[in-house]
Amino acid sequence: MAITLPADSPVSALRRILAVAIRHGHVTRRSPHRIFDIVVWPVVDSVLYGSIARYMHQTASSAGSSRLALLVVSGIIMWHVVYQAQIAVSTSFFEESYSRQLPAMFATPLRPAEWLLGAALQGMIKVVTGVTAVAVAVAVLYGFNLTDSGAGIVPVMALLLLTGWALAVIVAGLVLFLGSGSEALTWGLLFVILPLSGALYPVSALPSAVRPLSAVLPTTRTFDVARAVASGAATPWGEFGIAAAGTAALIVAALCFASVAMRVFWRRGFISRYL
Amino acid sequence: MTSAPQPVLYVHGLHKSYRGRTAVDRVDLSIAPGERVALIGPNGAGKTTTLMSCLGMIEPDAGTVELLGSRTRRARRAALARVGYTAGQLPLPPHLRVAEYLALFGRLYGAADPGEQALAGLRRFGIEHLARRMGAELSSGQRTLVGIVKATMHAPALLVLDEPTSSLDPEVARRARRGLLELCGAGDAALLITSHNMAEVEQLAQRAIFLLGGRVVLDGGIDEIAVQFGHRTLEDTYLYLSDSQPQSAPSRGA
Repeated sequence: MAITLPADSPVSALRRILAVAIRHGHVTRRSPHRIFDIVVWPVVDSVLYGSIARYMHQTASSAGSSRLALLVVSGIIMWHVVYQAQIAVSTSFFEESYSRQLPAMFATPLRPAEWLLGAALQGMIKVVTGVTAVAVAVAVLYGFNLTDSGAGIVPVMALLLLTGWALAVIVAGLVLFLGSGSEALTWGLLFVILPLSGALYPVSALPSAVRPLSAVLPTTRTFDVARAVASGAATPWGEFGIAAAGTAALIVAALCFASVAMRVFWRRGFISRYL
Repeated sequence: MTSAPQPVLYVHGLHKSYRGRTAVDRVDLSIAPGERVALIGPNGAGKTTTLMSCLGMIEPDAGTVELLGSRTRRARRAALARVGYTAGQLPLPPHLRVAEYLALFGRLYGAADPGEQALAGLRRFGIEHLARRMGAELSSGQRTLVGIVKATMHAPALLVLDEPTSSLDPEVARRARRGLLELCGAGDAALLITSHNMAEVEQLAQRAIFLLGGRVVLDGGIDEIAVQFGHRTLEDTYLYLSDSQPQSAPSRGA
């Protein structure tokens, strides 16, 4: 006779979260092509933007251009926290979708929030690997040392990590609603947010027509704080508080959106896409 | 005075439409502990929508679903720990070994020792040699058998199988049926199965519910159905009912 633990106990919930994390850990370890997302593309980005920044510095050769180069390089590292956090969870969701495991998973006591926590947990490994790869690349190639920014960079990175996960929740909601064909949104959403948030430059550099869009993105404030910290200034805690509130609002909005998408998924019988 | 045991699955007035097209129309069904029931009917009759509604994967427009005594969505999710589900056409994740895949679901179901229970499940169906194989390396029949092991490894009180043997050769299908009957007999598990193979339904089920156009047109004991309709086999009765219009089909409980 099989012994089964009570499904609604915290221990069972924790076991389910770890089960999801282990499952996607196996997938990552056996998918060599994913190394491109985690390490190769981020390093390529570092070379691309780092070289642009160095070129600008060489041609302008002023004190201001040196600061600009620093901001671009630090922006790449900060951006890859968002990128890796989002991609890690989104690709795990796509893995369930492509391998048509959603019906089998939904027929167990696993809650959507538990799946999300499990995917985010294993995604942390990818975030740490990817951000380390970028940080090492810019240190070796351009002499920018992230640790010079001090401990103030840690809460900023935490906000960016949460932003990446919130974006992943939005992508998962869109996939539930639109189907697996909406995979392009995984990367597309990021490449809309990257320029609008002023990750590599102050938003004053954006065309005035798109600045209102930039102003409503919580990532804009977070990157403002990141720039300040990276340039050696003290953490502007007032600005950080606004960024944290904006990130919290984004998380709530993402969860509400995913919840509505899930209701539509159940109601319209979209599970049949995976049978 | 003894009261009747609480059904493991109770469905009343289940109704579901997609964009104005009725998929399931006021379906009632009840399955007692240990009972083996087949849901049969032609393609598009509403079998899968009924199963998915019972498991909480499709939200019905109307009606009640009570799974192991749990009615709300939250309570039913917890009850799923005592339900096993698989469908014959579902693949395995290509990047997981069979043992890892089963351990994953063992943990999701809350099995205390998922590794040991997975191995016992593989032995039950005679496929313990597949434990180290990757999902992508298995034949469709082997994948189906592993899916059945996944659904049965935690000794569920209700086993829901959607066309489980559709991709199996006759010998493996027989092994799968034998394992299922052994499990239902030993553990008092109830079975709800869909199949287009009437010989299989006769072997596995004690009762058949025939769906046509989303409605239950027949609900009766396997041994009685053919006799009742004056046919030799369940398949003859199936073909007779399929050719009938829903309006002219026998009333429920016929």
